[in-house]
Amino acid sequence: MSALDDCFNIADLREAAKRRLPKGVFEFVDRATEDHLALAANRSAFEDVKLRHRSLVDVSNRSTKTMLFGKPAALPMVIAPTGAAGLCWYRGELALAKAAAAAGIPLTLSTASMTAMETIAEQAGGRLWFQLYVWKRRDLSYQIIERAKAAGYEALIVTVDSAVPPNREYNSRNGFALPFSPNPRFLMDIARHPSWTLGVMGRYLTTIGMPKHENYPAEFQGTITSGAAGRVDAMRIDSLNWDDIARFRDMWPGVLMLKGVNRIDDSIKAIGYGVDGIIVSNHGGRNMDSAAATLDVLPEIVGAVGDKCTVIVDSGVRRGADIVKAVALGAKAVLTGRATLYGTAVAGQEGAAKAIGIIKTEMDKTMAYTGLNAVHEISTDIFYDDWRSNHY
Amino acid sequence: MSRLDDCYNVFDLRDAAKRRLPKAIFEFVDRSTEDEVALKNNRAAFERIKLRHRSLVDVSNRTTKTMLFGKEISMPMAIAPTGAAGLCWHEGELELAKAAAKAKIPFTLATGAMTNMEKIAREANFRLWFQLYVWKQRDLSYGLIERAKNAGFEALIVTTDTIVPPNREYNARNGFNIPFQPNVRFTLDIMKKPEWFANVLVKYLTSIGMPRNENYPPQYQRALRADPKMFDVMRQDNLNWEDVKIFRDKWPGILMLKGINRVDDALKAISYGVDGIIVSNHGGRNMDSAAATIDMLPEIAQAVGDKITVLLDSGIRRGSDVAKAVALGAKCVLTGRATLYGTAVGGEAGASKAVGIIKTELDKTMAYTGCNGIDEITTDIFFGDRARNSMVGA
Repeated sequence: MSALDDCFNIADLREAAKRRLPKGVFEFVDRATEDHLALAANRSAFEDVKLRHRSLVDVSNRSTKTMLFGKPAALPMVIAPTGAAGLCWYRGELALAKAAAAAGIPLTLSTASMTAMETIAEQAGGRLWFQLYVWKRRDLSYQIIERAKAAGYEALIVTVDSAVPPNREYNSRNGFALPFSPNPRFLMDIARHPSWTLGVMGRYLTTIGMPKHENYPAEFQGTITSGAAGRVDAMRIDSLNWDDIARFRDMWPGVLMLKGVNRIDDSIKAIGYGVDGIIVSNHGGRNMDSAAATLDVLPEIVGAVGDKCTVIVDSGVRRGADIVKAVALGAKAVLTGRATLYGTAVAGQEGAAKAIGIIKTEMDKTMAYTGLNAVHEISTDIFYDDWRSNHY
Repeated sequence: MSRLDDCYNVFDLRDAAKRRLPKAIFEFVDRSTEDEVALKNNRAAFERIKLRHRSLVDVSNRTTKTMLFGKEISMPMAIAPTGAAGLCWHEGELELAKAAAKAKIPFTLATGAMTNMEKIAREANFRLWFQLYVWKQRDLSYGLIERAKNAGFEALIVTTDTIVPPNREYNARNGFNIPFQPNVRFTLDIMKKPEWFANVLVKYLTSIGMPRNENYPPQYQRALRADPKMFDVMRQDNLNWEDVKIFRDKWPGILMLKGINRVDDALKAISYGVDGIIVSNHGGRNMDSAAATIDMLPEIAQAVGDKITVLLDSGIRRGSDVAKAVALGAKCVLTGRATLYGTAVGGEAGASKAVGIIKTELDKTMAYTGCNGIDEITTDIFFGDRARNSMVGA
């Protein structure tokens, strides 16, 4: 508990998570790819946008509430899909989902998560979205879609920026890989983090056993240590294309989103395929290190799609002010991946709730300083001068 | 081998090379000139260019293969000429040439190499290019051209950006120079790296003796610690377009100029019948105020169009750099340091590792940007216009 009490922002939660997690797990969450240029660009793009105070507006009735796909959310923020929540905390996805439900924001469950989607739906409730990695054997993905539909998920998010496995050199260096290959380096790492070993791995082993990818098709649902024969080839997704989207649109009656759209032409195409939402994302800088900052890409995409499609952004959100900036540039919501995972790693549901609370408070203060009472009032009017001149 | 297994990128290979090589040799390879502004700027210019993911293109049949001067290579990359490969590893040029042949990319042998060109041609024959430093006494250079022709080299690359010896202050500081002047400082340095001493220098001393510039004309082919007065013979500050004309007459194969940085020079090269130009600042090793090559490339590529093949070097460390250069009009890049680091760590296996890393990175960049072939890589994958890109973070 004291660990959480000492955390006043996401950077503090990150530090606390770093102390608690084995290095292999922490770096899997925290780092990005190659030279970390995209990660740095994402952050600096947010930081370079400067705002102006607006004085003497009564903001005593302000609210961060907003509508997203016709339903309310407590703030324009959603939990991004991440594969490692279950390694940050014992049944971490469930802890994160409960925190999201309690805070009144949607949670996205990843294909790669370690808690079954049905368990999340039964025990956490709230607005649930499901993220899909599409595999070479498409029928496996169709099975997963049917499961998500049956479990009552509101939205399906297809990740479209991960055509090939990214170059995450630090994972190899740390001896960390999914499925786990318990090599000496990673075992030493674990031995140095007894509270994680007992509190996370120990609890799995004494209850449900080694965590599995519970949302994989049955035939590939090996534990995270064993993997399953043929899985790597079956999971290849470099043939994913627009015909698949047409198929998903037919199969999925709910909200359909594409995650990792970074081009105007792709955005316009998404509208043509009946997609409801696009997420401007570079995967937290974790895939292509030369990727442009998402906040830089956002305005032109919003300009191109107008109201025909809901635009969401992720990659780099660490402060409430970042949400305000993204909303001002046309995003209807942001997704947070690392920010809420750090919280989960420090104290499970409570830690995730703390992360959400911190960001919400920061956003509320930013709205107050800039003279805004409601999310729909946020516009580039609060930016200092032409925001692009800030940036360059 | 385990050392190579721990290297996941070119920077890891660099660190491993640094541990293995005597400081003077490592710095000769790794550093550049004066304040190393050009070196940093070469890298920064690549890093400033931002790309966009393209979604939902089936890239399962993508390939990095490309055509260069009418023949296929496995990726748009060639090994740059470097004089020090033979100091990084015993017969390092041969190791590097073998790795290039296996990877199906061209290898350029430097005039200053320590393995003779006939041996390279016999043992590592894929596509071989020969780099020429032109000497004051032109006959000597003509002799070299004849040798390269007889050995079956495909291309002749005339280096045009090295009019005078560069200001490489660290070499003097380290007591390192070619020809070798084994002073106290360099000797001490060597003693700190016994593995290099045993595996490189001793192997030379027990076989051919002190390594020598095997491709120099016989009368100057002395061991590396030969008389420094030789530099007068090697002066090339009177090299001019008339020489290019003569080389064109003498060389029936592919003729390239290395170190072209101006539109007017590029156009002139076309009129002299040159087949290829290499936009290069010599890895930032000559003039420290040189502009980044990736910044100069577009105007040169636009000016020459299809009339000449444009290549680029200086600063390539990642596969994404290759994609960026190709997008801006280069048909191929050359890697100097990147593959030398690999050679220094593991000979042929290390050089192969370096080539493989860059190829994998290029492949991933193509997949992320939705390109199935090298000819599909254009500035369409860039974020914003180039002028704005290059200002980000500036």
